[in-house]
Amino acid sequence: MISNLFKNTVALCMRSQNAIKFAATPLRSIHTTSPANDLMEFFDAKKNWGETNIRVGRSWKTDELRIKSNTDLHKLWYVLLKERNMLYTMEHECADKMRLFPNPERIDKVQESMNNIETVIRERNVAYYQLETGETGERPVEDVVNLFGLPDKHKKSEYYIPKHMNKRWVRPYLEHGFINSAAVKRFYRMYKEKEYNIERKARNREFNHVQHLLKRFPDMDMEKLKAEYPNVDIEKAKRSKKARGHFMPKY
Amino acid sequence: MRIFGSLAKKVGDLTIKYSNFPESYVKRSYEQVYWKNPSNYPQYPKAQIARKKYRFTTNRPWTSQFRMQNERNLHRKKVFLEPVGEWSFFKGDRVEVMVGKDKGKQGIVSQVIQERNWVFVEGLNTHLRVVGKDKKFPGITIQSEAPLLVTTGVKLVDPETLKATDFEWRYTEEGDKVRVSLDSSRIIPIPKSAEETMDFKSKELYVENVDKDTVSEAATKITFAPKLRTFEMDIMEEMGIKEDRVPAKSYWY
Repeated sequence: MISNLFKNTVALCMRSQNAIKFAATPLRSIHTTSPANDLMEFFDAKKNWGETNIRVGRSWKTDELRIKSNTDLHKLWYVLLKERNMLYTMEHECADKMRLFPNPERIDKVQESMNNIETVIRERNVAYYQLETGETGERPVEDVVNLFGLPDKHKKSEYYIPKHMNKRWVRPYLEHGFINSAAVKRFYRMYKEKEYNIERKARNREFNHVQHLLKRFPDMDMEKLKAEYPNVDIEKAKRSKKARGHFMPKY
Repeated sequence: MRIFGSLAKKVGDLTIKYSNFPESYVKRSYEQVYWKNPSNYPQYPKAQIARKKYRFTTNRPWTSQFRMQNERNLHRKKVFLEPVGEWSFFKGDRVEVMVGKDKGKQGIVSQVIQERNWVFVEGLNTHLRVVGKDKKFPGITIQSEAPLLVTTGVKLVDPETLKATDFEWRYTEEGDKVRVSLDSSRIIPIPKSAEETMDFKSKELYVENVDKDTVSEAATKITFAPKLRTFEMDIMEEMGIKEDRVPAKSYWY
């Protein structure tokens, strides 16, 4: 399936800062090995089975992926997918056999690379559609007020009949009534109250924290304090009793 | 609806850089999430029950020691951290100790714990520790360094006068951000050892994993050529897939 430069290498790109070092070493960019198309591809190479530390490089960055052609990205995606499948299989197998799965961060590295590939491809497609049609070509999203009266994003779907003919789409929406019913209004009011309380508590907590900081570090750089807690009235905190203190705690 | 913003920013950037792990891995390795609503179901709000306060020490967040130190029922007093703004102390920096029994001595920063505003200076601010003591064996006494606060405990050393100095972050004409000593206006360079991670001492010394890593030659090769095609169109052409069916009229709502 994959027979280009990424063959037999894995998604995890080594540090490109090493370029200088590797420019001197002989070129080995093209690998060709006979494919083993069986279920053992879900497992790691046999020599890695007992290993406790399988160290790999970091994940692909978006800037490194932007210089790659679509074909390369497509192939790299499947290399990554196979690697991720392999890692999940090995993780499951290790748990099954009561072993420690070595270097679980590899899963995150592969996932991060895959996310970055998606980002880059999306960028390219959006650029094409915006040039050709003036739209992004992404799935349309609409800002709506949902049945609870809360702002929501409605991801639109594709239908072969228009909305007014589509009974299955219209009916459940109407059954719930209008969103400004008494129940929705009541819910919304209480929801707002809850939200406000959370905000208020966070504000008070921050203010208290600054008071304690002022007590412990009276010579602190006030600009840095202001930068870290922009919503706190520091002059007010300084005047408060809590900020004064009659002894210096140990920490 | 709960706010977990406070949880997100706990681990310092330098710690993540040192670990060489993706941030998501560091996060999932130290977080204690006791309950999480299933995601991607509209009926479930995005709620979770998780530990909110962690005690950060020299134990790195992804280690088992950290987990032991933050066991589920173990809660410790809050640590107040003086805001330091931009972090400016790196491993390998020459600093002068401003407090304690080694006050006035200069040394090299050997470890940085950003979560606590701590630096460890090699061989300074030490105490004696007895390890391995039992009934038959008196134990071995070793010297171990105690942490110093970056706000009050240490000061950077000016490269010209070799004395403790205050400093400022400024931009050079090339646009690089540098630390400038306020004593002699000399740049205090960030040492090479600041880029040391768990895996390598410096980026050049990284030994690649032959089976797993992409060689830098392949990774840095430019294969992109701009074309007026989407990704899908390009791949279809590459694979010789021809699509001439016209999609039926559809409606988005």
